[in-house]
Amino acid sequence: MATNAQSPRLARPEPRGIGWSLLLTLPIAVWALLMLFRPGMDTDPKSRIAAALTALFMTALFFMMMRTGNTYRWRRLFFVSVGVLFPVGFIYNIVSVRGTMGIPVEEMIAGRTPFCFMPIPLLILPAALTRKLVFPGSIGPGGGASGAGMAAMVGIWLAMTLVLGKGWCSYACFFGGIEEGVAAIPARAKIRKIDPRWRHGPWAVLLAMVLLSLALFEPAYCMWLCPFKAVSEYIAARNLIGLFQNAIFVLLFAGLVIVLPFLTKKRTQCSFFCPFGAFQSIFNKISAFEVKIDKERCKPCVLCQNACPNMSLTRESIARGETLMSCMKCGACVDACPRQAVVWHIKGTEIAWKPERARLMFLYAAWAMAIMFGGTIIYGGVATILHFIA
Amino acid sequence: MAASVVLGEALALGLASGPACIAACGPVLVPSLLTERAGLRPNARYLSVFLAARLLGYMLFAAAAWELGALVSLPPTPRVLVMGAVNVLLAGVLIWYAWSARSLCGHSCAGEKLVNIEGTKNRRAAGPAALGLLTGLSLCPPFVAAGVRAAELGSVAQALLFFFFFFIGTSVWFMPFISFGCIARNEAVITVARMAMALIALYYASLGIAMLIGRKVYGY
Repeated sequence: MATNAQSPRLARPEPRGIGWSLLLTLPIAVWALLMLFRPGMDTDPKSRIAAALTALFMTALFFMMMRTGNTYRWRRLFFVSVGVLFPVGFIYNIVSVRGTMGIPVEEMIAGRTPFCFMPIPLLILPAALTRKLVFPGSIGPGGGASGAGMAAMVGIWLAMTLVLGKGWCSYACFFGGIEEGVAAIPARAKIRKIDPRWRHGPWAVLLAMVLLSLALFEPAYCMWLCPFKAVSEYIAARNLIGLFQNAIFVLLFAGLVIVLPFLTKKRTQCSFFCPFGAFQSIFNKISAFEVKIDKERCKPCVLCQNACPNMSLTRESIARGETLMSCMKCGACVDACPRQAVVWHIKGTEIAWKPERARLMFLYAAWAMAIMFGGTIIYGGVATILHFIA
Repeated sequence: MAASVVLGEALALGLASGPACIAACGPVLVPSLLTERAGLRPNARYLSVFLAARLLGYMLFAAAAWELGALVSLPPTPRVLVMGAVNVLLAGVLIWYAWSARSLCGHSCAGEKLVNIEGTKNRRAAGPAALGLLTGLSLCPPFVAAGVRAAELGSVAQALLFFFFFFIGTSVWFMPFISFGCIARNEAVITVARMAMALIALYYASLGIAMLIGRKVYGY
């Protein structure tokens, strides 16, 4: 094996030189400028400033990833920014267009619901059986509040998912950042022992919601269980049941996105509840990139297991040299390992085959997607804030 | 009209309505089936009991409605109350089913080994029978379509026969569920199925309570 031929690297690698890091960052800088100054973006000075700040922010984070060799810390900065700024830009837009955060049934029937990736798994069975989408959005160009149309958005999601698998949940999801930010606040977890059976929660929610969506012919998760309705657009409550639905959204948000991440230092909504995350886990099986554990180097200290925000490492999986299929490829375990036994890996190659090259290839794909989705969201949030400040 | 033509129509209606029946029964059937033992025979047995009880539910509802002269024109208020009660009962049975399934993985949940399911005798017949009966009593769209047609027939016996053949037609679509027996039952599958049942039960409970207290189901 190649691992036997190499001596174990116990020390952290030296930081890359500034010049070499800049060179590696150059493609990302170009991509950021292309995405944030593309035709169709607002051209007023405040929007230009927001676009420039966002491009600079995304490029600087990537540069730091290249320079320090650390992935998680810089990715988290980006991810928390997306999570915090998403409601700012989104709510402002929705209120500007509609006058309220509540979505009435007339808007749903008109297909003016903004696209969201969450109901994608819920659409499949009804579409297969009836050739109809149960999500109230337009499929063609110009459809939905974003104007992109669902077909284009689902196409982009599929392409990125095939490449990154569940990496989507760490680089593209615009919901997970809030809980990741909350989880970063306390120095220590107050709840350390979590029953591992809760890890099956997302699969249970997925199963229940897929079946109910088929039975009710509506995206049941959006109607009843989405915690992020609390910070995006809720159901316009016109009676007691509507109030009940919104109470569920708020309670789930408070519990899974605020309180539990604070107590456990884990992304509890992602780990125990999110049905889309469970769905994305399936694609981890076919995605080219994964995180592996070099058993030759690993001295099971479980630092990686403790660092994982998603409970995707167990003693058994570490012994097998792999993460669980729920791994979000956030890089926390890779950065936490003092022996560099946890590595980025390209399927089909030997485990110790140039892990830094695997990391780079993954990060280029992931950061390109991050700029496309998250960058646009950060831009929207910053532009909104500048609008209010000026 | 010749009886064979009418029964053929019932069969065709059942065959055509099958996907809708699967959609309506899926939230109850799929997770409960996943808590059964692996193997085609146990799953076929479960499905037989479920479908037989569902047929009984059909027949009971049809006979009672016929006697009340309300097969088609059941007034909205009692209909909603009946549906509400059925949904609450369904939620109760699902919760019981999810709770009782905790013993199914008692011996091996700590590991990834396949589950040796013990102590399922008391729920083997009662569980699927209760679930089948309650889903049979639910007024799903295909059931209403069959009811409208059956109401045009001359006697209660003919109407029941119509429902029986309609049931046969829909049941064909349930046969693939026997293949769930090929899915290995380990801790993950049982736990996911139990959690899903609990969630679905909560949905049915809230739906049922909303119907019983006379509120709209959705907030728009």
